[in-house]
Amino acid sequence: MGSVSAAPTALRAATNAEMPLPMITEPAVSFVEIETLRAREFVPAAKEALGSMLSEQAQGKLIRPMFNWAGRNSLFPLHWGLACCAIEFAAAFGARWDAERFGVVPRSSPRQCDLLIVNGTVTWKVAHKLIALYEQMPEPKWVIAMGNCATGGGPFRTAYSVVPGVDKLVPVDVYIAGCPPRPEALLDGILRLEQLIKERKE
Amino acid sequence: MEAEEVGARLRERFPDVVVEPFPGTAGRIRFPAARLIELLTEVRDGLGFDHLGQVGAIDWVEERELFYTVWSDRAKQYLFLSTRIPAGEPHLESLTPVFPSANWHEREACELVGITFDHHPDLRPLLTPTGYQFHPLLRSFRLHEPEELEVKVRDV
Amino acid sequence: MWINMGPQHPMTHGLWNLRVKIDGELVLDVDPEMGYLHRGIEKISEDRHYNEIITLMDRTCYVAGMAWEHLFIQAAEHALHIQVPERAQWIRTMSEEFQRVASHLMWYAAFVQDIGLMSPFLYGMRDRDLVLDLFQSYTGGRLTYEYMRVGGVRNDLPPGFTDQARKVCDWLSDRFVEYDRLCLGSDIFHRRCDNLGVLKASECIRYGITGPMLRSAGVARDLRKDRPYAAYGQVDFEVAVADGADVTGRYLVRMEELRQSLRILRQTLDWLDRNAGPVMAENVPRWMGAPYAPVGREGYLLKREYPKGVGFSAIEEPHGEALAYVVNEGGEHPYRVKLKSPVFVNIAAARQYLVGYRVADIPPIMGSVDVCVGEVDR
Repeated sequence: MGSVSAAPTALRAATNAEMPLPMITEPAVSFVEIETLRAREFVPAAKEALGSMLSEQAQGKLIRPMFNWAGRNSLFPLHWGLACCAIEFAAAFGARWDAERFGVVPRSSPRQCDLLIVNGTVTWKVAHKLIALYEQMPEPKWVIAMGNCATGGGPFRTAYSVVPGVDKLVPVDVYIAGCPPRPEALLDGILRLEQLIKERKE
Repeated sequence: MEAEEVGARLRERFPDVVVEPFPGTAGRIRFPAARLIELLTEVRDGLGFDHLGQVGAIDWVEERELFYTVWSDRAKQYLFLSTRIPAGEPHLESLTPVFPSANWHEREACELVGITFDHHPDLRPLLTPTGYQFHPLLRSFRLHEPEELEVKVRDV
Repeated sequence: MWINMGPQHPMTHGLWNLRVKIDGELVLDVDPEMGYLHRGIEKISEDRHYNEIITLMDRTCYVAGMAWEHLFIQAAEHALHIQVPERAQWIRTMSEEFQRVASHLMWYAAFVQDIGLMSPFLYGMRDRDLVLDLFQSYTGGRLTYEYMRVGGVRNDLPPGFTDQARKVCDWLSDRFVEYDRLCLGSDIFHRRCDNLGVLKASECIRYGITGPMLRSAGVARDLRKDRPYAAYGQVDFEVAVADGADVTGRYLVRMEELRQSLRILRQTLDWLDRNAGPVMAENVPRWMGAPYAPVGREGYLLKREYPKGVGFSAIEEPHGEALAYVVNEGGEHPYRVKLKSPVFVNIAAARQYLVGYRVADIPPIMGSVDVCVGEVDR
């Protein structure tokens, strides 16, 4: 750690040469049939499998609640920090609050997530990135607006660059007040969301 | 280092600058904009203020003020420099040849206060979105209630 | 090929985008793209009373709210010619040091996670919460305090505070030994961090870099020592310096700063125990920032014409040198507030310490810079 070796300097001298790209002659993957995907969807597949055994009424009482039960106990939020609330978001996953005991595990890729926690001020510059991330998340998905900025612009409501509430961009399921909300408030918001998922019909 | 000392050391080469005391610092130099590069080079090499703290801009409606803060590790003091340029077509020589760290400060002053820096390596907007046409820190730019703002942004 | 790391990327620790030009794994060029969190704080400040701006300052840098409050308040007091009582100065010093501890612990939690060690995140957050509990006991907030006021601080410390604070200091000083054992004793840490992100002292000064990055290059520059403000002139501490100018050097500087902060804190707590006094200047009404007079207290309201003048302040924020420049033209609001953030300058020089390394080296290097986007974009 004291002196500096020559290695980084040697790397710096590397050339800017562009490598030629390999030619692609055939697709490297075999495409998945959309029908196969449809067949893998939980609710219709379960209905089809159990259709002969259960009545229509019993299906409604059994399959959807089962699906909701599984979904609400493993909410994967997107690992994305916007502003001040992101620090409290991180604290909620720290040692004291430990949000992971509710099955809430942050993931870094939107394609693995079903919960977008908007933890901070949303500016117009980031607005289309936020929408893109939301659209990359697979269905079913939920959004929590954490803090006053995400709810309605907060102290920066009158600023020229701030979106006055993230519900102008994406549909929001749960709003959490506070500037920033305490980690308990975030956990409360997540539990409220679980309640919403529990009552979800279709 | 006091303001008199700074003034005495600059007087010979720069008779057109004014040095006045500014509490808590080594002084405040007002200089004509044309002598920016010369003066800052002298301040860096001659007086030893080799660390650029900030470059800021103020809109005084009829003219715009640019202020520079430099720090000397030897004297353990800050020095203020400021110059005024007319608001008609505000432009000024870029400080990046003397202090490379002025790069982003000048980009910010360009987009927020609308001052053009000649010979700047890269004068893209830094903080506002691409295509944003306003200079928010001008006095003529007023903050709106969000409803008005929303309409305005859709128009752009 | 240019790739984007951000605005949603685990490396960024905030809302910004690092565009990287790569050849295989080699970084050829970088171009940081900021502004995703630009909230126009400087513009909003022009429409607010002085004490209302404190709300914005907390949110400017959300991991070091107390330091930014202190920065702005000092500039405002300089512009308005207000003298602050001594006890308030010591409370401010103590608050800023606690903030430095909290900020560095947050940095530790995030940075060590970047290089692949998970448990230090939990340790860092656990110990940071103890400091935040102390903040909560006298300001009411965990991150955003609105505690300092023009002319002093809002309220005095609650009874029993200093004892609890000393207990926290003792606990932390034991934990720092553990932190060092976890990191410096680990071969993974050294292979990941040594000789990485090197930026020599001359380059640092050329590019205006301050704070732990500059001190890791061997330059003992600390505004608390060089240009003492508040009560820093009366406490005894040393400036942390390392000589590697690399990621490990920055780690060593920050860990040493944590220890020195505890040293300052113990001295301030002793002073606060021994000396009582007012915490608010007498000639400043408490309702300075209130838009209307409190009911029945019309005579208490200050006259709305502040003296013309400019105010300047510089503090050693956890990330480096922060400057504030406040211009007052005699109205109720400041005419212009200019804030300079240390991270703004440190990120601007990213090309100097990232080019030539590998893509996988970017997270530890940027982690060692300790990016707080709130104060870059403002």
